[in-house]
Amino acid sequence: MAITVEPLGDNTIENPEERAPLVLGGLDYAGVTDKVCAIWEADKAPKIWWLVLAGAACLLLMFGACINHLLMKGVGIWGNNNPAYWGWPIVNFVFWVGIGHAGTLISAILFLFRQNWRTSINRAAEAMTIFAVICAGTYPGVHIGRVWVFYWLFPVPSEHLAMWPNFRSPLLWDVFAVSTYFTVSLLFWYMGMVPDIATYRDRAKSKMRKFVYGLLSLGWTGSARGWHRYEAAYVILAALATPLVLSVHTIVSFDFAVSQVPGWHTTIFPPYFVAGAIFSGFAMVVTLLVPARRLYNLKELITIRHLENMNKIIMATGLMVGTAYGIEFFIAWYSGVAMERFAFYNRAFGNYWWAYWIMVSCNVFIPQLFWFKFFRTNTIAMVVICIFVNIGMWFERFVITITSLCRDYLPSSWHYFHPTGIDIMMFIGSFGLFTTLFLLFCRFLPIIAISEVKSIMPSEGDHH
Amino acid sequence: MHEARIAKITSPIVSLKDNYVRLIPISLIVAAAGIGSALLLSLDMQRFSYAYLTSFCTLMSICLGGLFFVIIMNLTRAGWSVTLRRIAEIIAMCTLPMFFLYLPILVPVLTGSDAVYVWNAEGWSIHGTEAEKQAALAEADYPPPIEALKALYLNRYFFGIRMVAYFLAWGGMAWFFLSNSLKQDKTGDKSLSVKMQKNSTWMLILFAATLVFASFDFEMSLAPFWFSTMWPVYFFSGSMLSALATITLICLLLQRTGRVTDEITVEHYHDMGKLMFAFVVFWGYIAFSQFLLIWYANIPEETFWYAWRINPASDGSTTGWQWVSLLLLFGHLLIPLLALMARTVRRSKNFLFFATIYLLIMHWVDHFWIVMPQYTEITTAHTGPAAGLALSFNPLVDIPCVIGMAGVFVALFCLIARDRPLVPLKDPRLGEALAHHNP
Amino acid sequence: MTEKTKSEVSEQKLVGLLAQYEDPGSLISACNHARESGYKKIDAFSPFPVHGIDPALGIPRTILPFFVLIIGLTGCAVGLGMQFYANAADWSPLFPGYSFMISGKPFFSLPANIPVTFEVVILSSALATFLGMWALNRLPRLANPLHRISRFKRVTNDKFFLLIETKDPQFDRTETESQLSSWGASVVEEVKEDLTDQQLPSWLQLAGLMTALLLLIPPVLIFRAEGMTNRKPRLHVVPDMDWQDKYKTQTLSPNLGDEKHPKFLFVDGRAMQEPIPGTIARGDLDTDSEYFRGIKSGTDAFATVSSAGARTSLQDDTRQDDAANDKPAEPNSDTAATSEPDWVTQFPTNVEVNLELLERGQDRFNIYCSVCHGYAGNGDGLVNTRALALAAAGKAQWTAAKSLNDPEIIKNPVGRIFDTISYGRGTMGPYKDQIPVEDRWAIVAYVRAIQGTGIKPESTTKAEEDAVAE
Repeated sequence: MAITVEPLGDNTIENPEERAPLVLGGLDYAGVTDKVCAIWEADKAPKIWWLVLAGAACLLLMFGACINHLLMKGVGIWGNNNPAYWGWPIVNFVFWVGIGHAGTLISAILFLFRQNWRTSINRAAEAMTIFAVICAGTYPGVHIGRVWVFYWLFPVPSEHLAMWPNFRSPLLWDVFAVSTYFTVSLLFWYMGMVPDIATYRDRAKSKMRKFVYGLLSLGWTGSARGWHRYEAAYVILAALATPLVLSVHTIVSFDFAVSQVPGWHTTIFPPYFVAGAIFSGFAMVVTLLVPARRLYNLKELITIRHLENMNKIIMATGLMVGTAYGIEFFIAWYSGVAMERFAFYNRAFGNYWWAYWIMVSCNVFIPQLFWFKFFRTNTIAMVVICIFVNIGMWFERFVITITSLCRDYLPSSWHYFHPTGIDIMMFIGSFGLFTTLFLLFCRFLPIIAISEVKSIMPSEGDHH
Repeated sequence: MHEARIAKITSPIVSLKDNYVRLIPISLIVAAAGIGSALLLSLDMQRFSYAYLTSFCTLMSICLGGLFFVIIMNLTRAGWSVTLRRIAEIIAMCTLPMFFLYLPILVPVLTGSDAVYVWNAEGWSIHGTEAEKQAALAEADYPPPIEALKALYLNRYFFGIRMVAYFLAWGGMAWFFLSNSLKQDKTGDKSLSVKMQKNSTWMLILFAATLVFASFDFEMSLAPFWFSTMWPVYFFSGSMLSALATITLICLLLQRTGRVTDEITVEHYHDMGKLMFAFVVFWGYIAFSQFLLIWYANIPEETFWYAWRINPASDGSTTGWQWVSLLLLFGHLLIPLLALMARTVRRSKNFLFFATIYLLIMHWVDHFWIVMPQYTEITTAHTGPAAGLALSFNPLVDIPCVIGMAGVFVALFCLIARDRPLVPLKDPRLGEALAHHNP
Repeated sequence: MTEKTKSEVSEQKLVGLLAQYEDPGSLISACNHARESGYKKIDAFSPFPVHGIDPALGIPRTILPFFVLIIGLTGCAVGLGMQFYANAADWSPLFPGYSFMISGKPFFSLPANIPVTFEVVILSSALATFLGMWALNRLPRLANPLHRISRFKRVTNDKFFLLIETKDPQFDRTETESQLSSWGASVVEEVKEDLTDQQLPSWLQLAGLMTALLLLIPPVLIFRAEGMTNRKPRLHVVPDMDWQDKYKTQTLSPNLGDEKHPKFLFVDGRAMQEPIPGTIARGDLDTDSEYFRGIKSGTDAFATVSSAGARTSLQDDTRQDDAANDKPAEPNSDTAATSEPDWVTQFPTNVEVNLELLERGQDRFNIYCSVCHGYAGNGDGLVNTRALALAAAGKAQWTAAKSLNDPEIIKNPVGRIFDTISYGRGTMGPYKDQIPVEDRWAIVAYVRAIQGTGIKPESTTKAEEDAVAE
């Protein structure tokens, strides 16, 4: 089965009469299967894969060592201190949870809006979501102090404890939101993957692979009745995941916004956090998919049009975030409340002006380059911009958390936050965890939803 | 697939034609009678102005939702909604004449009346009673009084300039889409679709910017001390929901009277039902988030706004407003949420007919709930809090007023639609819309 | 029976006929033909969901959405109920709720309970969808005769199949085969089920059993540990959590500088700062001298307040000095008897002496006082008895606790008893930091009640109350 070498063609030209093709290079059904399975069937993973995996594994080890040190020593090894009790751990948590929104957004919301182009990217994005949520969950997980009694976070009936969690606390809402989100994303991801795992099962050569993939594919046959219920379940899960994905970052924003801290208590936080999450998540998807597409030669499936569409969404959500910044500033002025005014003036021109302007430049100014088609369609340019977006979104969480805490109502407790080395190492280390998981996923699971891509291909059988 | 692209319009009548033209004078009479009787029966210019503002904001938000529908459908190159787009374009075009309907509020503001917007009064104060005001003045030397700072934004001249700018922007955008779409009906030039898509990008930004400030100006500034950054999103969510309901209702009415019978199918209604469901949820999400944050933090400068609508009056007597709040919770969120959940329901034209009318009534209740407690608050200084809702809801004033406003809308719609086609005849994506099918 | 004989006698049963089609279009038309020819037990197989196949096969809509709706609504009720039970229902006998006041919100505050309720609804609905879908599809089913057909492996790649089962009343081996071919099948093949090896291999059964047994070990160990006592100290997994690196109150600051240039946390060399003189914590402004100190309001209220403040700090200082001079506090430092303040003889006006107060007083007395003074106030508490025994053996120094029924003690005005509880006397330590003011007055009332009875405090009768009321 030779993989086709037809020219790719440009599918970014707009013709309102015809929908642009989403699979290029004249691939047929078997061609799509071969293309995706080639990654898994290759005897050896590419050198660069091993190289990056080695680097990521080192960072992961460092992450583990930091966590071990933290558990032995206590949270004092972080920079968190009066008045900034929420330091980098919460910044990193919100950062990773935000990134973890793109996957479900692509699989659920774009599915409900019938955006066919999602099929080539949703699998990788969902996987990324799960890995990002794992990274995110680590921070509050180790922040609770006595990790070995983490189950006290859940309503466990216990005579020893004789106590229940406080359901009026937004931090507990977070426990429920993030764990629900992780579970549902995992179900969604796995359910979407079963038909493709069945493809792997049917092509497996070694006994080991036949056994493992046979078990994971649950005996899927692709029967019409099976597909019927499967599609119904997919729609329901999408309809459930859509409000869920909104609720997760909404609840994360509640952590801040239900308080009375100036700069935290502002009602636009829920939709503004969600927009920011989508923004950073899409940026991360582009950052991951562009190298993967090049490494595994998936240009026919992840076409420039896919990337261009994502870049447009990045720009749109970037503008939403920018609008929210604007509204916040205007209302801070309009409210007339001295504390509000000071909080926002301080953000832009106070001690942390540098963080604020990094955030604005990366989140609002730089994505404006996507107005130009060159930047939307050039893979290197878009990765650079997307990395800036992620830097900007990290700084957004930093600005919100730190500037407000370090300038609270009482000037005598004002303070300048300093991260410790462990703070920095734990943040870098979490990238090791994320990258390791993603690389393993690329090697052993179908990174493109094979059956979904086939379902949007023209079905006249042009290629037969 | 290729043959589907050769779009054929098969309906016998695709424009309003005679009967509807005759509707224009009738609806104008209804409008005059409704608004006129509201004015006469209220016997009070201030009372009338509040009733009028409620109805105006209801209709205004519908038109703005229509404009957003047009912009977003062009921006996303939507195919399924092509047959619905013309109706949305006409609704959006109503934004420009809506300016003249705002004049009964705007002109008094410009001449210095504080009947509606209390910030327009000389020496207005954020403090309710005279005693509170004196106490605050005695205390405050720094920071400068909030009123003085707010006057930089909330003053009659800047307000007037802003209003003119909003309506010009909305009218201009609506005209751009309507005129280009009509041009395409004649020429079939597919580059017009590309042009509309390209321009919808920056127009969306302009729309967002104007909507943000307009929402502050129309309704949030009624309580000039109150502020919520969520407000524009709240306004938008209701506006989009009511626009979807209006588009659906108009389609149903047009099809019942034999217009565009073939182009709008049950698949389109199904999709509109889904969108309405989504926006019911979205409205609930935004309304709840705004409420929860203010309720939870419980800061006096914000909480009073909800306290007016939920809590009993300061003397412990009920104001009645909590029933309206509960009506919104159940009527605007929970009941439509459950009702629109089922697929069969969304595909039933009869059901959708009632659902859209119901949602529009709820949309009016929403605006009534936003605007009117301010009137209660102003006037209870004279009558005592027990009057509450009873003071603010007078069926003889509020209902004729909203019926009159609906008459205005029907007249405007018919005037703009006249003999123009009610579907884009030669849109390149028309075929896709006609072949649209829900899985 | 050995493996070999099994495969030799393998018995095969025809399940149906499988036809292969090359593209979705021909599959749909074949399905339509099959349905129109009256076949019922048919199923199509494809690499992706083929649109239009549901009507072609006559597949009815699945009931999955209704199932999910029911589970979702149940989840809503469970979510709300769980929060109500946990935070607002402290009446329940088993695992009672724990009502604690947070930011002035009601115990059951609906707005704050919506987020968790919502998440529970989503979680239960999603699980119902996921599990319900597999259950309705009768999956997982790992042994399926279709998987034995090598051609069928391309169903997950690029081929389309139609199966007509033998169970179908219209099924006829040759007739059906020719029909399938005439509807455009490229290949028609028999599907056979091997009836002999339907059992799981024995090694797999054994492995499963072993795993299950191994999994039982940890819970068994935990249960065992729960029910046992152990004399060894408990395991400190994370020592820093148990012995934290911190400076306690009133300790010396470590030297942060070097020998020549010592540097301390604070200039006075302590690890903790004293409050600025004259500061009063919120809620601690005790202007009511009778209530807070048991001293009659003097002619100059301010003087009383400041003198009391001075007395407090003076006493603290003396104690510290004592500790520094490593001398135990003298038992009879009660030399200030001559300069006794003007104690109140009546309960302050805001202390209402009633049965409730006495019961509270009894409760507190039994906790704080009875260890030395005894339940009846005769000075025969366990600590006192034991300490006296040790003192008699010369192993300790101890001043006997006073009997509260001693006529000398009974003479004391209530104000002085209050003061004694607050600041201690002799070896008795101060209890003002442990016992709130209102509870101290309750104890005073109870002490009065004991003194009224003479001996037995158990039977609190009217007579005692009368005595208390004086």
